[in-house]
Amino acid sequence: MRFACDTGGTFTDLVVEHDDGSWTMHKAPTVPEDPSSGVLDALGLAATQAGMELGAFLAAGESFIHGTTHALNAVLTGNTARTALLTTQGHRDVLYLREGGRVDPFNHTVGYPRPYIERALTLEVAERIDADGVVLIPLDGATVGPIIEQLRASRVEAVAICLLWSIVNPAHEQLLGKLIREGLPGVPVTLSHELIPIAREYRRASATAINASLVPLMGKYLGGLTARLRAVGFCGRVLMLTSQGGMQDVDDVAIFPIRLINSGPSMAPGGGSALVRSHTLAHDLIVADTGGTTYDVSLVRNGVVPFTRESWIGAPYRGHMSGLPSVDVKSVGAGGGSIAWVDAGGVLHVGPRSAGAVPGPACYARGGTAATVTDAALVLGYIDPEFFLGGRMKLDVTAAQESVQRTVAAPLRFTTEEAAAAILAIATENMVQVIEEITVNRGVDPSKSALVGGGGAAGLNSIFIAQRLGCPELIIPPAGSVLSAAGALLSDLSSEVRATWFVTLRHFDIAQANLVLAVLEDRANTFIEGAGRFAVATSIDFRIEARYRNQVWEIDLPLEAARFADAQAVTQLVQAFHEEHRRLFAVCDLESDIEIIGWIATARCRLHRSQGQIEMRSPEVRGGGTSRRAYFKGYGRVDAAVLPLNGISDGELRLGPAIVESAFTTIVIDPQSKFRVARDGTVIAYPGRRFAA
Amino acid sequence: MESNHTLLNGADLAILHHRFEGVARKMANTLMRTGRSGVLNRARDFSCCIVTAGCELITAAESLPIHVLSGPDHMARVMKQFHPELRRGDAFLNNSPYHGCSHAADHTILVPVLDSDSVHRYTVVAKAHQADVGNSVPTTYHGSAADVYEEGALIFPSVQVQREFRDIDDIIRMCRVRIRVPDQWYGDYLAMIGAARIGERELAALGEEFGWDSLARFCDQWFDYSERQMADALGRLPAGSVTATSVHDPFPGMPAAGVAITVRVTVDSTGGRVEVDLRDNPDAMRNGLNLSQACAETSAMVGIFNSITHNVPRNAGAFRRISILLREGCVCGIPRHPSSCSVATTNIADRVANATQCAFAELHDGAGMAEVGAVISPACGVVSGVDPRTGAAYINQVFLGMTGGAGAPESDCWTTTAHVGNGGMCFLDSVELAEVYQPLIVYDRHVIMDTEGAGRHLGANAIFVEFGPHRTAMTVAYVSDGVINRPKGVRGGLSGGAAGQYLRKPDGTLVPLPACAQIAIAQDERVVSIGAGGGGYGPPMAREPKAVKSDVSDMRISRHRALEVYGVAIGTDGEIDHVATSLRRLHA
Repeated sequence: MRFACDTGGTFTDLVVEHDDGSWTMHKAPTVPEDPSSGVLDALGLAATQAGMELGAFLAAGESFIHGTTHALNAVLTGNTARTALLTTQGHRDVLYLREGGRVDPFNHTVGYPRPYIERALTLEVAERIDADGVVLIPLDGATVGPIIEQLRASRVEAVAICLLWSIVNPAHEQLLGKLIREGLPGVPVTLSHELIPIAREYRRASATAINASLVPLMGKYLGGLTARLRAVGFCGRVLMLTSQGGMQDVDDVAIFPIRLINSGPSMAPGGGSALVRSHTLAHDLIVADTGGTTYDVSLVRNGVVPFTRESWIGAPYRGHMSGLPSVDVKSVGAGGGSIAWVDAGGVLHVGPRSAGAVPGPACYARGGTAATVTDAALVLGYIDPEFFLGGRMKLDVTAAQESVQRTVAAPLRFTTEEAAAAILAIATENMVQVIEEITVNRGVDPSKSALVGGGGAAGLNSIFIAQRLGCPELIIPPAGSVLSAAGALLSDLSSEVRATWFVTLRHFDIAQANLVLAVLEDRANTFIEGAGRFAVATSIDFRIEARYRNQVWEIDLPLEAARFADAQAVTQLVQAFHEEHRRLFAVCDLESDIEIIGWIATARCRLHRSQGQIEMRSPEVRGGGTSRRAYFKGYGRVDAAVLPLNGISDGELRLGPAIVESAFTTIVIDPQSKFRVARDGTVIAYPGRRFAA
Repeated sequence: MESNHTLLNGADLAILHHRFEGVARKMANTLMRTGRSGVLNRARDFSCCIVTAGCELITAAESLPIHVLSGPDHMARVMKQFHPELRRGDAFLNNSPYHGCSHAADHTILVPVLDSDSVHRYTVVAKAHQADVGNSVPTTYHGSAADVYEEGALIFPSVQVQREFRDIDDIIRMCRVRIRVPDQWYGDYLAMIGAARIGERELAALGEEFGWDSLARFCDQWFDYSERQMADALGRLPAGSVTATSVHDPFPGMPAAGVAITVRVTVDSTGGRVEVDLRDNPDAMRNGLNLSQACAETSAMVGIFNSITHNVPRNAGAFRRISILLREGCVCGIPRHPSSCSVATTNIADRVANATQCAFAELHDGAGMAEVGAVISPACGVVSGVDPRTGAAYINQVFLGMTGGAGAPESDCWTTTAHVGNGGMCFLDSVELAEVYQPLIVYDRHVIMDTEGAGRHLGANAIFVEFGPHRTAMTVAYVSDGVINRPKGVRGGLSGGAAGQYLRKPDGTLVPLPACAQIAIAQDERVVSIGAGGGGYGPPMAREPKAVKSDVSDMRISRHRALEVYGVAIGTDGEIDHVATSLRRLHA
C-alpha cells in the first residue's frame, strides 16, 4: 500500500493505493495547531474503512507521501523564525535593493516591498572573493566573534549566510558557517552555495533567508510527524512533495524546507491532467483546486505542466523571490471557508479571510459565527446537511441561515437566499479573475479550454465559473476532491544532479565532456540505487544549458545520448542549438560561438504501477430518486434531482438542475446546463449560457 | 466574430487587449533572453510595441515609458513616407532624433506586418539602447557634443536593413566598422530582429484566428474606450492652469546657473482635456542634451500619466485628450539638424516630466507626484576598456545603483526607479554578473540613511556605490544631474538626497569629479558614485507613526531624524513612544 496525504488549510486529504491497484479517498479536518494529528485522523479513517487496526494498517504501507502548506503559511503570515542574514561587507542592502524591475510603471498606489529580513538583522562580514574565486580580503576568524555576540544579543533563531562568489569558492561561507554553528549551538545555519548554487546574489540571498527562517519550524513539524507515524507502526518511507512537482525523502528536505513552499499544490496540475486525459480533446486545461482557504489554478497546455524559473512568494517584484524553479500555480484567497463581509460603504466581499477548519463555517456548529461560502451553499440547498462528508458530519442549517441573514442579508436588505446567491456569485468572480490572469492575460482563450475542477468545494460553483469563462466543458474526476494527493500517487520520484562546467562548442573537449557526463550519471545512479530502490522503472535524461557568447539567459537542450561518440555528435549539437534558438526567438547567429554553462542529469524512478486508469473504490451507495429544493438566480427555488455519483456512471446525457453527490463532493448543475457521468465516475458537464440577470 | 459589424462585447475586448499585450510581451522576452550586451540582457533597457497601419500606438506593455508613448507613431509614419511600397520580409532601422526616434543610442527596428493580400495591417517596433553606436567618445550619452558631427553616431533615418527576411549586408558592414565591439552590436541587432519577427509571427496568427477586420474593429473600439477613460480621469481633477519649473545642473554648453525648464499645465476638467505648453523655454544648446520631438512629447506625457489614475490605458485613444505645445529649435521642442540629442531620454526630459507632475500636485492634493531623482551617475554610466582575462575590448552601460523613486499621493516611492522616464522598469545589475562580464569590483552599494525625501509618503534614499576596475584600468562616462538641484518634494514634502561623484585615490582620499565627463580610472583607483534619491509627497509630520517605526528598523531613517522631521519618538527598543509623539506633533 501507498499513502498520499495533503494537508490543506481546512481539510487533510488522504488517498490510499491498495495492493490491487485500486484507490480509496479519505478526508479529515486539518488541525492547525497540530497538523500531524489531522494526518493521523485521516489514516485512522482509512484503517477503519479497511476494517483494520491503525497499527496493522500502517505497517502494511510501503510509503507515505506528504504535501503541506505549513511552510508557505508561515512565510505569508510572518510566523517564521527570527532570522539574521550575513553578507559580504558593503552589500547589506541586497534584500532591499533586489534586482529592480517592476510591473505597471504608472501604478503609484503600491509601495516598494520591505526586505525579507530587516536591515537591523543584516550584518556584514569583512571578506571578499572575486569572480574567479580568488580571495581578495581573507575572512579573519577573529572578526566573527563580535558578530556572534550581536546575533546572540538579538536572540536570533536562525542564520542565513550568503557571501559574494561563494558558488565559485565556498571556503568563506564554510568557515563562517562552522564558526557560527560553534558559537551558537542549536541555531540552524543555511549556506547559500549549498542551497542554491546560482549566480545573481539577490536570488541566492533571498532563497537562503527564506530557507533559514523555515528550518526551526519545519524541522520540528517533520520530525514530529515522522516520529508519530513510526510510533503507531508505520515503518515505510516518508516522502515529501516538493515545489518542483517531485518528491524527496523527508530527511533530505528537513534542512532545505524552502523546497516545500508549494508542496501539495504543485501536484495538482500533473494530477488533474493525468486524471482527465481520456475524457477531453481540449489542448488547454485549466486545472483548479478549490480548498477551504485558497483557490489554486494552473494552465496545462498540451499536457505540459507549467514551470517557472522565477517563482515569487506573493506578487512578482512585490513579494519575495524563492529563487528555485517550481511548478507554476497561482493562488487566491477564496474557498469553501472564505468569509463573506459587508464593508462600511455597503459593498459585499468574500475572503480573503477564511474560517479554516477551526472554528470553521457557521454550519459546522463548532463556534464559527461568520457566514462562509459553504454556509451560502447550504442555504441555497446545494449541500445535504445530513450527507456532508458521506454523512460523517452533520451540518446546522439554522446556524448557516442565521449567519447569512445577520452578516450579509440584513446590512444589504436582501432576502437570505438573495444574500447567499450573492456570496456565491462574488466567490465565483474572485475565482474567475485569477483564471483570467493565467489565460486571458497570457493570450489563452478560456472558451477553448476545459476547466478541471478539483478540491472538495469545487462542485458548488464550478459550473458557474465555467459559464462565466465560456468554457465548453467542466470535468470533475472522481479523485478531484483530493487532487494533490491523487497527483502525488501518479508522480515519479526524481532528482536532478547538475555540474557547472564552462566550455564552448568551438573549443570543445569530448573526453572532458564525457567525464562530466560520467560523473553525473554516477550521481544519478547513486540516487536510483538509494532513494529509488523500490522503483518499478527508472530512467536518466541528460540536458545542457547553453547560450550564444555574451548572452546571459540560457536555453535548455536535451542530449541525445549519455556520451559524445565523436566530433559528428558535437556538430549535431551545434545545429540543434541554432535550430532551437531560431524556433524560440526567430533568429540564429551562425557566426557566434556557443557556450555551455550547465550540465544536468535527471533521474526518474516510477514508484506506481497504475497507468493513469484508476479504479476508485467507493463504499457508500445511497438510494436514488430523491430531489431537493435548490435556489438558482433567475429561477428561484426549483426541484433539483439529487443523484448519487456511483449510481449514474452510465455515460448518459442528463439535464440540470441536478445535484450529484458523493462522499467527498457535491456537484451542482444549474438548470441551463447538461452533464454525463463516465464509467469511472468522472463528471463531464456542458455549461449552458449564462443567465442574463 | 468575423463579418458582422456589431460592437465587440466586453469579454472579447478584454481578450483581444490582452492578446495584443501578450504579443508585445513575447517580443520583449525575446529581446531580453537573446540580447548580448548587459544594457539589454541584464538591465532591460529596451521596449517593444505595436502600432496600427494608421500609425497609432496600441500597446507598449512592459516598456520603458520614455521609449514609447510618442515616437513609434512618428517612426512608423516616416517608414511609410520613405518606403511607400512595403513588402513582407522588410525591416527598417531608425535611430534618427530628427525622424521620430528618441536618441541615436536607441536603435529601433520596424517591421511592417502584412496580411495574405499584402495589405499593411500593423507595424511592430523593437527599440533597444545599444552598448555603443559609434560616437566620437566611448559612451552612448555624449553630453558635451556641440552638434551631431561631434556626437559622431551613425544616424539611420529609417534605412532598410532586411529584404525578404535577409540582412542587407551593406548596412551591417557600415555598422561593423564604426561601432565598438562589433560582434556584440550584431548580436544585439539580431535580438531586435528576432523580437520584431516574433511579433510579426504572433500578429499574423492573431489575424488568422480572429480575422483582420475584427482586429481593426477592436482597435477602434479600444481607442474609444481609452479616450473615455482618459476624459473621465481628467474630469476628476479641478480645472486650472499651473506653471512649474525644474532646474538642470550646469553642464558644458549651458549658462552657469544651469537650465530652468518651465512647463505650463492646463486642465480642462469639464472638457476632459489637458494641455502642456513647453514653448516658453530656451533655444537648443551647443551640447548633447537637447530633446528630440519624441522625447519632448513623451516626457510631458510621462508627467501626465504619473499624475492621474493608472487605470487609463496608454495608447493613441487616451492621447487624443492631450495637447503638447512645442516650438521648433527649442531645447525641449522640435530639434533642428544638426543640434545634438545624444542625451535626449534622460536629463532635460526628466526635468520636463518632473515639472509636469509637480504642477499637477500643486493643482490638487491627491494628484501628481514629487520629483524623481536625476541621472546619470557614474554607477549607471558607460564603462569601457580591455578585459585582462580575455584580452578583448568591452563597452557597456552598467546599472549598479539607482534609487530615484518619488513619493505619490497614495503610496511611498517605488525605490529602484532609475529616473522618471523609466518608471522603475530597468533591472539593477547583479554584482556577481557585473563582475563576470566586466573586469570590475563593486566594493560597496547601500542606501544612505536620512537622505530620503521626507513626506507623508517618502521619496527614496540616495544610493552609495563604490566600484573600480579589477587588475586593469577603465574609462567611465556619465552625465550626472542632481548634484546641485536635488529632487524636490511637493505639498509640504521635502527634497531627497543629492547626487555626487568622486575619485578614490589608492591612499583613500576622495577627489571630486565633474558632473559631465569621461574619466580614466587607473588600476588601483575607484569611483564613488552617489545616485540621487526622490522627493517626498505631503508634510512629514502627517506620516503614519507605524510607518516611521518601520523606516527606523529598516535603517532608512535614524531615530534622531524620526523625531526632528517626523515628530515620531522611537525608543531604543524600536517601539513608538506615543505620548512623546503626540506632544511633539502638537508643537510642530
